[in-house]
Amino acid sequence: MNNGSDPLIRLNSVTKVFLTDEVETHALSGIHLDIRPGEYVSIAGPSGCGKTTLLSILGLLDTPSDGSYSLKGYEVANLSFADRARIRNREIGFIFQSFNLIGDLTVFENVELPLTYRGMGASERKSFVTEALERVGMAHRAKHLPSQLSGGQQQRVAVARALAGRPAILLADEPTGNLDSRNGEAVMQLLKELHGGGATICMVTHDERFAQHADRTVHLFDGRVVEDRIAA
Amino acid sequence: MVRIYGEAKDRDLKELPFSVPKFWHYRDGQTAFSSIAADRGNGFILTEIGEPIQLFGRDVTANYFDLLGIHPILGRTFLPEEEAKGDVVMVTESFWRNRLNSDPNVLGRSITLNGVPNTIIGVLPNLPISWFGRHTEIFANKLFEPADIAKDRVMRGVSFMRVIARLKPGETIQQAQATMPALEKGYREERPENPDNSWASVLVSIAEDVTGNLRPAFMTLLAAVSAVLLIACSNVANLLLVRFTGRRREIALRMALGGQRSSIVRLFVIESTLVSVIAGVAGLCLALWTVSIVPHMAGQNVPLESGVSLHLPVLVFTLALSLITGLLMGLYPAWQSSRTDLVEGLKEGGGGSTGSHRQHRLRRGLVAAQVGLSVALVASAAMLISSFVRLSRQESGFRSERIWAGGIALPPSRYPDAASQARFVQRLTEELQNEPGVEVASVTGAVPLSGDISRSPYARADGNPTPLTQRPLGLTRSISPNYFRTLSIPLIAGRDFSERDGVDQPLVVILSKATVKKLFPNEDPLGRRILFGTDNGTGAPAEVIGVVGDVRSADLAKANDVEFYRPWAQRSTPFLNVLVRSTTKPEATTGIVRLSLKNIDDGLPIIQPNTLEAIVSESLGERRLTMALLGVFAGIALLLAVVGIYGAVAYTVEQRTGEIGVRMALGAQTVDVLRLVVRQGMNPVILGLIIGLTGTFAVGRLLAAQLYQISPHDPFLLGAAATVLAVAALLACLFPARRATRIDPIQALRSE
Repeated sequence: MNNGSDPLIRLNSVTKVFLTDEVETHALSGIHLDIRPGEYVSIAGPSGCGKTTLLSILGLLDTPSDGSYSLKGYEVANLSFADRARIRNREIGFIFQSFNLIGDLTVFENVELPLTYRGMGASERKSFVTEALERVGMAHRAKHLPSQLSGGQQQRVAVARALAGRPAILLADEPTGNLDSRNGEAVMQLLKELHGGGATICMVTHDERFAQHADRTVHLFDGRVVEDRIAA
Repeated sequence: MVRIYGEAKDRDLKELPFSVPKFWHYRDGQTAFSSIAADRGNGFILTEIGEPIQLFGRDVTANYFDLLGIHPILGRTFLPEEEAKGDVVMVTESFWRNRLNSDPNVLGRSITLNGVPNTIIGVLPNLPISWFGRHTEIFANKLFEPADIAKDRVMRGVSFMRVIARLKPGETIQQAQATMPALEKGYREERPENPDNSWASVLVSIAEDVTGNLRPAFMTLLAAVSAVLLIACSNVANLLLVRFTGRRREIALRMALGGQRSSIVRLFVIESTLVSVIAGVAGLCLALWTVSIVPHMAGQNVPLESGVSLHLPVLVFTLALSLITGLLMGLYPAWQSSRTDLVEGLKEGGGGSTGSHRQHRLRRGLVAAQVGLSVALVASAAMLISSFVRLSRQESGFRSERIWAGGIALPPSRYPDAASQARFVQRLTEELQNEPGVEVASVTGAVPLSGDISRSPYARADGNPTPLTQRPLGLTRSISPNYFRTLSIPLIAGRDFSERDGVDQPLVVILSKATVKKLFPNEDPLGRRILFGTDNGTGAPAEVIGVVGDVRSADLAKANDVEFYRPWAQRSTPFLNVLVRSTTKPEATTGIVRLSLKNIDDGLPIIQPNTLEAIVSESLGERRLTMALLGVFAGIALLLAVVGIYGAVAYTVEQRTGEIGVRMALGAQTVDVLRLVVRQGMNPVILGLIIGLTGTFAVGRLLAAQLYQISPHDPFLLGAAATVLAVAALLACLFPARRATRIDPIQALRSE
């Protein structure tokens, strides 16, 4: 059980080893990481340092080879696929680099998608979706298709989709990677506003400028935490 | 060329043969034809060349082969004066080669047929079985003096001839038909008492005559083949669309390097056409191997030549069809794919995309089309199978187990009259009855369901009998005593025939139950009289002495309207069938009958010994063939549709890996992914089922003629067919759907 001072997420000695053609790749080695409610953490590092692997484990898309991972006080490292999917749906909101909106669905339907996996009723879903779209300023494009939106608008919709289920934490993987600088700044500003509203955010980025938007930056190198610094 | 039939619509009489006087009248008085000829089937016993052999042949008019345009390979055809006299015959090439060892001196050689020496004047090429039958080897010219029919009966209009004619150049069938009423009127005036003078004359083209009965079945099969071809085509089109869509990057690259759109289209069309032609050649090789099976399956009921093979026109047609298929099926996908956005196409990673919305709709439409056609085929096959099962279980009214049947032809030279024929039958049945293993034996003019039918004009003798020219024709069977016992046909009233119902005794008749219902409703028929035939201008009266159960002796699918049984001695023919119920195997029974025959007359062969069970089964041969072929086509269609659905869904899953990964990342469970893939796969299937079932409803009439006690709109069968398709489609969707659930979301998101 999690009280106010306990971390939302606690990784303890998390290791991830990939085995391919008898070659072992240590993507992560002995990672210790706590994320408290309301924190805005960025994970930075060069290409291949293990940022995305760490985010995958945090997002319950992958399981650690060793170590423990507790979310809201519950050990979640080695849950079944179905349990991880359920927790992912309720507690974690994903924001991807390439937006990953589904082209055949409207903006409304894309934001609604995670809620349909909860068995939520239609009217309740509508209420959650409308609220999320209004938070990101995209309610007026609810009936459009992703192909009718700009990159920045698509990423806003992706943020709304991540928010709609009122998750415990937002995980963003290079959210500005496919955007120009103006749109990138706009998305970063949105994340800052959400954080200001109480959201817990963990963002992976290789761009130091955007890393500094966060309260705290964790630097990775060769799968290890080399620095964990609170922003000035 | 046309066939001329008699017809009396008011009495539901169709396809009636001609009598000799009628033929003469038409031959002498017609103006529409350049020539007119006639023939009839006949049997000949060949002796003095080894064991006596029963041969099948035809009696023809002198101009018969000239009219047909058939020229002998040796010798000549008949001369007109030989119709009146001259014992001459023509033989077929197979007879000459197999029975006469290709005798170089065949012309002028004498062979003894029915005890009479005949001179061979010509050798004909082997002739098509669709017109001449399977075993015809001899052609004689005694058409107007049949040995089995008394001359006075011949002139009174007994009808037995098949008449054909060749239209004059420029004359149409309709024009020729218009000249018939005048000939009919002239014949009525010339022969006022002949019963056939009230029949109208109907002209049918020879092609229609030969294929008419088979038309519904062949049209059904043609529709089935076309449907399978369309399914295959839509399968190919779908696959090509998917394949070409997946090559967007290649297309974009080619065009970026200066390739014209037409060159892209040409490249893809050539690819698809090449594959199609290769498939066509492979299909032809398969056809070469399997086409020889079809005549065996057709059996005796469909007149397919045993040497059926793929002729040049068939080969050319098939290759042309595969070429056109490849061309057409490749053209649209190639055209669509060549419209790719160059910039977007070059940006893509290796996987390509699922294509535009229009292509999605087209692919779904193609899947729906395949399913629609397949459900129509499967439903049709189910109906034909159900119909066949019902028909094969239909009670015939007689038993066929352990009954042997064989024909015997009595040569007129030794059995010139009814008395001698009756004595033979009596001796034969007595001999057989004394043989161990024989339970009962009898004789009949025609075996039930063998296709042999004999009909006589009939009328109640009391009151005002219907005039001879207006009488209906009723199925009439000549039988010996114990016939009903042999076939276990119940005797409902009165008695069976006995030896006392002989040649010079009062004429008697036994009626079927349906006949009693028709002729003597609410009356006791025993003792009543019925007029048969044309004797004395009114027919000969026969007393009703018995009533038996109804049998389906003409067509298993149809109850006989009326059926009369006459004692063999009082209505005999030189050709008879022996029926033996025995405890021995058929081969042994053949030996028993042969031995009994030898004791009576050494020179009589048995014709086509068989079991009654086999004869009954062969009567369903055409339906069996149609059912089997349609079943095969339906199976192929189902397989193609399932493969098509599987391919479409599998490809969609592969292309939507990223989307599925995103959904999993958002919390989709295994069942959510399954549901997504299956729903997307089954949507066009459901549309196809609706269209297909609607279409089956619409074309039900085509099938109705071939169904027995099954409606072409049978909801159970339609529902079953739809269910089979739906289940098969569901399975086809489930396999790729299961694969989709095993997608690693991390890998999927990386590729996305």
